[in-house]
Amino acid sequence: MTGCDRQGPGVPQRIVLYFYDELEPAERASVERHLQSCADCHRTFEELSLIRSALAARPRVDAPADGDWTAFMQRLDAAVRVEHGLDGARQRVNLDQAVVPLARVRAPVNYVPYLAMAALLTLVTSGVVYVARSTSRPSPSSASVGPQAPVPAPSVTADPAPVALMRPGEAPSAKAAFAALSEQHFERSKLVVLGLANKDPHRAREADWAYERGLASNLLSDTRLYRLAAEERGMKTLAGVMADLELVLLQTSLADAPDAGALQQIQRLIHKRDLVTKMDVAAAMGS
Amino acid sequence: MADSDLISRAAGGDPTAFQALVERHRSMVYRVAYQFAGNHYDAEDIAQEVFLKVYRSLDRFRQDAQLTSWLYRIVMNACIDHRRRQSPVMSAPFGEEAERRLLNTPEERPGPEDHAYAGELGQVLEGEIARLPQGQRIVFIMRHHQGLKLSEIAEALGLAEGTVKRQLHAAVHRLRGALAHANVTAGERA
Repeated sequence: MTGCDRQGPGVPQRIVLYFYDELEPAERASVERHLQSCADCHRTFEELSLIRSALAARPRVDAPADGDWTAFMQRLDAAVRVEHGLDGARQRVNLDQAVVPLARVRAPVNYVPYLAMAALLTLVTSGVVYVARSTSRPSPSSASVGPQAPVPAPSVTADPAPVALMRPGEAPSAKAAFAALSEQHFERSKLVVLGLANKDPHRAREADWAYERGLASNLLSDTRLYRLAAEERGMKTLAGVMADLELVLLQTSLADAPDAGALQQIQRLIHKRDLVTKMDVAAAMGS
Repeated sequence: MADSDLISRAAGGDPTAFQALVERHRSMVYRVAYQFAGNHYDAEDIAQEVFLKVYRSLDRFRQDAQLTSWLYRIVMNACIDHRRRQSPVMSAPFGEEAERRLLNTPEERPGPEDHAYAGELGQVLEGEIARLPQGQRIVFIMRHHQGLKLSEIAEALGLAEGTVKRQLHAAVHRLRGALAHANVTAGERA
């Protein structure tokens, strides 16, 4: 570099590369000589040094806001469990431990095929029953003439038949039944998700929170069955929405009560995954 | 225990090995994610995504490779993927054709003038870093903060080294502009 490569008011690229030690020795020596004679480039170099020192003086953030990794590890643990389709509700994390037992994440036995098999058997059987019943079901207007049940909460004990299970070539009526059931599952789940999303983390009463967690636990196993079945059928979109829902339900069922931090994390997850919209879209598309 | 041993054991089904791997590297991953995202919420999401990708890829890790290089590659791509999901306008892929667009598309965040009142130069610069287009931002973070060589960044991102140089150059140019904008230049401080 015999002269200044400055072009206009910008930063000469060689000064930047010199500053970041990206030049070969010969070129580096050349730039060093140039800096001694070029006031503009020298000033640029000083400014780069100022940028470095100013940024170095900023607080170094390398941990969550409160410096506690527990929630982070719990969330990772849950996500990895979902990844593997293990039963997280039964293998509860010890929330008192500083480090979540990721030890349980990789089980030596792969249960997924067995779970999927069991799911399929259950779902196909119940799907057949559901289709048979649906053909003789009375109309909604005549179905409920007596007094309404006193508890307005959704029934989330179990879906009548989580049957995301129609293989290509199966009868259209079976597919219609599956679509209807998927939509029902989403509707049930949406009530829980919306309840979680709208709950004030700092005012949630323990009883309310326990109720939400109970609903989530009830929905969790069915959601997992739907996801496994969807994956089995290559229904990626539906499986993806189910996986998101499953993660939210799993985190809810694992959370302490009352735990404002956990609820906030769940709410953020719902928002980030845009879960309500995805469920609406999946239901509208007939899954 | 060496990282490569932990990965082998984790890939073979040893659950404590993966846990140890996460604990060993989570601070670095979080730091890069925070520098890129500028807030804890997104930083945590990015870090989560990174370790999930690591978990999914344990079997594919080459034993002769450096874990940190592999991890940096995953971190960089997770940062970019995260931004793409959040902002469709930034979804253009890296490459020569997209470079000009990336270079000229600022993030919609508070500018240096919004931070200058604080009189804190580092804060001003952090604000400008947050406004950098994602390509410039990730290159600047990985070179300036993490100390990766431009050739390593280029390899990780699948870019030509010249492209990475231009991204770094453009980032520095903008940061220098932020200095001038804040009227906090080296000459005035001297």
